[in-house]
Amino acid sequence: MKGIAGTIFHYIDVTFVNIRMALLRVVEYPSNIIGWLLSNPVQFLVGFATIQFAVSEFGDINGWNYGQLAFLYGLAVLSHALSMIFFVQGWFMGNYVIHGEFDRYLTRPMSVLYQFFFTNINIIGVTDLIPGLCVFLYGCHKVGFHWSIGNVFMIFVLLTGATLIRGGIYIILGTTTFWTRSNNDFAQYTQEIFDKTTMYPLSMYPEGVQFVLTYLIPIGWVTFYPVSNMLGLSNDYLQTSAAVWLTLLIGILVMVLAALFFRLGLRNYESAGN
Amino acid sequence: MIEVKNICKSYNVIQKGEGFRGALKGLISRESEKVQAVKNLSFHIQPGEIVGFIGPNGAGKSTTIKMMSGILTPSSGEILINGRDIHKYRKQVVQDIGVVFGQRSQLDWDLRLGESFELLRHIYRIDKAKYEETLNIMDQILEIKPLLSKPVRQMSLGQRVKGDLVAAMLHAPSVLFLDEPTIGLDVGAKYSLRKFVKEVNEERNTTVILTTHDLGDIEQLCDRIIIINNGELIEDGNLEEIVDRIAPYKTLVVEYYDEKAPEHARCELFFHEANVAKYRFMKKDITAAALIQALSAEAQIKDVSIEEAGIDDIIRIAYGQLKE
Repeated sequence: MKGIAGTIFHYIDVTFVNIRMALLRVVEYPSNIIGWLLSNPVQFLVGFATIQFAVSEFGDINGWNYGQLAFLYGLAVLSHALSMIFFVQGWFMGNYVIHGEFDRYLTRPMSVLYQFFFTNINIIGVTDLIPGLCVFLYGCHKVGFHWSIGNVFMIFVLLTGATLIRGGIYIILGTTTFWTRSNNDFAQYTQEIFDKTTMYPLSMYPEGVQFVLTYLIPIGWVTFYPVSNMLGLSNDYLQTSAAVWLTLLIGILVMVLAALFFRLGLRNYESAGN
Repeated sequence: MIEVKNICKSYNVIQKGEGFRGALKGLISRESEKVQAVKNLSFHIQPGEIVGFIGPNGAGKSTTIKMMSGILTPSSGEILINGRDIHKYRKQVVQDIGVVFGQRSQLDWDLRLGESFELLRHIYRIDKAKYEETLNIMDQILEIKPLLSKPVRQMSLGQRVKGDLVAAMLHAPSVLFLDEPTIGLDVGAKYSLRKFVKEVNEERNTTVILTTHDLGDIEQLCDRIIIINNGELIEDGNLEEIVDRIAPYKTLVVEYYDEKAPEHARCELFFHEANVAKYRFMKKDITAAALIQALSAEAQIKDVSIEEAGIDDIIRIAYGQLKE
């Protein structure tokens, strides 16, 4: 098969093989996934319990009631989980750069970025989906979410965009290691920042922070703006009725920028000495 | 057909000061120095050639081979493989090359060897029948089939290199790059590797480009050697021609009955320990027979042997450790 359709088919075909290999790896080391299966849900469920406490003490957070906060929190964890499955390697790109691990991707006839993420696809990230789904479904119930095909489709669009924004930012951070050649691990503070800004309403932060997270680093678009839009909540900083679609658009834009930046970085790749 | 045209590669090496003070200073101002790893290298390689790259550590061999296989981007110059620039058309060109690094594996450490092959089969879009056929051929040369169900992490180095060689040949590339493939291998594994290189070269007319420190590899495999030092091309040509040109001498090893070793005007006594002496003589100056005759007139000889100048002499000369 030739042309674009052939190329897409080829990538899907290889993706299935990569997923199969990732599952085999899980079977090979089962203790690994069991550990994550225990620790990941606990982490997020405890996080959500904190919100419950805050709401019961203060009534609401910036006009967001308990159910709306659960809806937001659930989508934040779900998009986090998806980004963990597909893009977590971006956090550790420095390690791959220093150890010359890009050699093998460069000598194979597929996109280097695709190979980097999909040969290292992180099936364990699925363990993050569980708490996300629990809290999200609870939130849906509380806000009276209408399960129409249109609404489900919008959730799908939102999660795709949110995952692309997160993934693109991980790639941009990771790509800097082509120049610094240092073993920077972006995991901790990236997750910290994303957690603090996507799980709670952005409107509770000072306006300067909101500006930065809306226009410069588009983290506000991961959950806050699209969810505000879906739940019909107003915020005094930015109003738009197409927020969910904007999330997808911004996701694609960030990903394209990240891919271009990565290409530039790869030109600086120095492999590793023998 | 590989055409390498005036390629240069320079690295920026960040200079770091000593100790804590130096590290602090490095945070404020980073001084970097440009290091030229490869300087203006040009050569052509014809289809079906086996070319050996030799040179001391840090000479630029690996950098060159990594540029030729698309891993590193040259600072300037271009590399055409079968007429196409590998850095402009990477995805198309790499379809036609195979790469094996002796010290690094492209196999999945955690899984059975067969799983890595299966991934490559899909990446290179090899149909099942063609894959089986290649595997059968490879099995005849390297006995790879019994290894297919073995996890890579449990393999010996020799087995792993076999796995990597087959992995690089699955898509039947016309050019094969081997970077120090025999490093750390035992005699048996080295033999298999050399057999493999010879067979793929003869049967499939695969062009093979290898770097090595093992002179046996060069002597047994390469029709042509390229010597690199300090990123520059020192010699490029047929092994025998280079030997005749830059080391046109033989060495006569004489064992005497006592420790006295006579000298001779037409040769150089360059080694003398106990009752063994080594003489280096030019073929045009004196014949071995005449030299033995002259020496035996001076002292009683127990045994003699003659050594041709070989690849190791070439390397010593080229590396500047031995002045003519």
